[in-house]
Amino acid sequence: MPATKGWVDVLLSPSPFALVIAVILALTIPIFLHSVVFRASGLTTLPSILLVGPSGSGKTSLLTLFERGTGAAQTHTSQSPVSVECHLPVGTQAQSDKYRSVNDPTNLVHKKFLLVDTPGHGKLRHHALNNLTNPQNLKGIIFLVDAAALSAGEEGLRQTADYLHDILLLLQKRMESKTAKGAKEIPVLIAANKMDLFTALPAALVKTSLEAEITKVRASRSKGLLDSGIGMEEDGEQDGWLGEVGSTDFKFAQIEEFDVLVEPKSR
Amino acid sequence: MLDTFEILTTSGVVLWSKTYSSVSPTIINNLITNVFIEERTLPGAGIADDVSAANNPPYKYDQHTVKWTTVKELGIIFVAVYRSLLHLSWIDKLVDNIKTLFVDLYGDQLKKPHTTVVECHFDEYFDQQVQELEKTALNQDTRTAESTAFLEEAPVSIAADPDEPPPLPGLLSRGQSKNNYRDLTSNDSTPVITPDTSRSSTPVNHLLSAKGGPKGSRRARKAANTPAYQSSGDESYAKRNRAAKASEKKKGRKWDADGLADEDSDTPLDYSAPANGATSGEEEAKERPSAVEEVEQSSWGSKTGKGQFVLKDLDDQVHSILASADVKKESSTAPSTGLVGSSISAIGGLFRNVVGGKTLTKEDLEKAMKGMEDHLLRKNVAREAAIRLCEGVERELIGVKTASFESVQARIQSAMESSLRKILTPTSSLDLLREIDAVTSPSALSLQKRRPYVISIVGVNGVGKSTNLSKICFFLLQNKYKVLVVACDTFRSGAVEQLAVHVRNLKELSAREGGKVELYQKGYGKDAANVAKDSVVFAAAEGFDVVLIDTAGRRHNDQRLMSSLEKFAKFANPDKILMVGEALVGTDSVAQARNFNTSFGAGRTLDGFIISKCDTVGDMVGTLVSMVHATNVPVLFVGVGQHYSDLRNLSVKWAVEKLLSSN
Repeated sequence: MPATKGWVDVLLSPSPFALVIAVILALTIPIFLHSVVFRASGLTTLPSILLVGPSGSGKTSLLTLFERGTGAAQTHTSQSPVSVECHLPVGTQAQSDKYRSVNDPTNLVHKKFLLVDTPGHGKLRHHALNNLTNPQNLKGIIFLVDAAALSAGEEGLRQTADYLHDILLLLQKRMESKTAKGAKEIPVLIAANKMDLFTALPAALVKTSLEAEITKVRASRSKGLLDSGIGMEEDGEQDGWLGEVGSTDFKFAQIEEFDVLVEPKSR
Repeated sequence: MLDTFEILTTSGVVLWSKTYSSVSPTIINNLITNVFIEERTLPGAGIADDVSAANNPPYKYDQHTVKWTTVKELGIIFVAVYRSLLHLSWIDKLVDNIKTLFVDLYGDQLKKPHTTVVECHFDEYFDQQVQELEKTALNQDTRTAESTAFLEEAPVSIAADPDEPPPLPGLLSRGQSKNNYRDLTSNDSTPVITPDTSRSSTPVNHLLSAKGGPKGSRRARKAANTPAYQSSGDESYAKRNRAAKASEKKKGRKWDADGLADEDSDTPLDYSAPANGATSGEEEAKERPSAVEEVEQSSWGSKTGKGQFVLKDLDDQVHSILASADVKKESSTAPSTGLVGSSISAIGGLFRNVVGGKTLTKEDLEKAMKGMEDHLLRKNVAREAAIRLCEGVERELIGVKTASFESVQARIQSAMESSLRKILTPTSSLDLLREIDAVTSPSALSLQKRRPYVISIVGVNGVGKSTNLSKICFFLLQNKYKVLVVACDTFRSGAVEQLAVHVRNLKELSAREGGKVELYQKGYGKDAANVAKDSVVFAAAEGFDVVLIDTAGRRHNDQRLMSSLEKFAKFANPDKILMVGEALVGTDSVAQARNFNTSFGAGRTLDGFIISKCDTVGDMVGTLVSMVHATNVPVLFVGVGQHYSDLRNLSVKWAVEKLLSSN
């Protein structure tokens, strides 16, 4: 009993040692908390647009075109993602700003956004998928396709549809799971590139052929073998069915209910 | 001659390029896919740091040879493309020199985030390097550069030698005032001295001083030996210098008429080199006061340099950059001395190991990498593949800073995980059903005729070829295909009967599902290739969707047995050749995969692996990695049990987790 009393005395007495410790703690804890909390939240990032698409569809070219404004740089196969800061021309109004006055001075400055390029090579697609699973202020996705490589029965169409299917399925799952905090709709623009080539398909045909091919992807995925890792951890990982359950043909319109807007455009 | 030289980032943007004759961009694209992404030639090549171009294996594609080198921290790649017919020995040196120059000149621009634009006016530098190296190569065909160049060439090209350090401070001040180049003054005190003294023992300087003429050397010697006098009589010295300049100028102009690029840089070297000669003559005088030397050189250089040729500035600048880079490299390789310093750094290292923010070196990684290698070996990864993986990770990690509160071990773990994932992820999707559909019911637009899809299965004896074939058959039958099973094992007794039993079972199982399966067999002793060929014709006539061909098991290092595979591949012409490998096999898996992969003749390789008996090895699924490592062919299926339904697609995540789990 006296021993414990002695301890309590020592602990509560205003010894210089205890004072020093208290001061150090008092000074460091706020700094520590600050670094932890603010590192987690990150800096306010610019709104970003993600460029995805199979290899050779012209993602990096488009990126440099947007950045430089005058002409696209010569490019080769990408190995790493890159993001550049782009400006919208003065006077363009973002949709979120539609209630602002026309004379608002903020309309007179360039609006900045980040354009994120991802590698399209099969082994490196995890960069793009990572960007989708934990997006930072992601405002939209541009899925670039090579319109000249999309004719029926070609390998290019198969690869493109595969990739697009994966991306759309990921977006759909993201919207289905309510756990994703602040899950906002992410519109997808399918941009048909290389329209100057002779074999390029027009936008409407790009849309229908992609839809038809995704129908096939969906069917064969549902029939295929199970993954070897099944039942490993996350409960069952049921393979998703993209679009309306039970529908025979896939249409981009079907996934609008998951707030995934898909719009094919060509240039 | 060089075809094209490009400087590009890892994100694919070409920063600068010089094209002499246009080459297809597919050459460089192929280099990137094969060497950097798929790492067919060199593990970890895409992320390796600062290896000289000579150490990187040249990549050959379509009559062109590509030489390359990378800078990891900036993420840029230097690529030189030339015709394979030409033997250009100086390309390595060119690529290395250009790398040093470019990084030095534009390094800080490259570090800027969120931009791909690099303002560069690199043409002059490049042209200068090309001319210089070409000339050196011409003057001495077979011998290597450096020492021999001095003896054979006129003083003109002595000045041109990249290793000779030019008078640095003078030209730098000029460079700053005129061209606004990057400020280098911070590191010129070392470059001036060190190369000089290291050079002075070679015969070069004696030769130079002899050639420089008595006038120049005397003046230089005076300048070097009487610094006090020099600083006081600065004006007279400068005057004399100018006079000398005038007399030299005539000479220089005469050389100019020859059309050679670098002769005018002779002037400054004419002074500096004899100075070296003087110091080398007197061994004791080697350790002259560096500060004094620097001051006089700078004053001297800036005065003579007024209104001189631009080309000269460029030349000197290039040399100074190269020389300073050399010095930097030397100083970085030199071991740090001093007991106190090393112990402090050791303690700091331990501390950082816990807190993070430590820059990794080879020594830090060595022990941990050994542990990782042992771990992989315990997981039944073949030694060759384990070493390759570890080397790749090591190359990737050297020079990398660990994140805060991240230990070295954790960093290695995560790097190995991404490395394994990269090696196992297939390049293109492996959807067998869609491929079959594309062949058996081609779309009306494509001009292909309907034909059966042919899959053949090869492998060593007893790995489960027939079992896996029937598993695939079951999977196809469930998807309502008409399947023809072909018994091409015409060698082992009982092989045909074994397949017949499988087919009978499958028929019963799939009767309700609507699939149809038949056996095609011609008994024993026939040539397997002919049987296979006939069966494909038969299947096309009878309207089968898929032909599954079973082959005899063969030892992969038996040349006689393996040679028949080439004929087989030619006759049957399968859409997919799958090799069955068992998960139980250890180191031999690499040789198996490699031998089978090369046995089908030119232009035909394996299309996929089936790794059988994965249920019998638990976590030790290293064979997956070994086989993919050896051939770059993806794993299509894994067998996980005894039943027809125990066939699975490979989940990369599952495999990586098993391989890295510790127990």
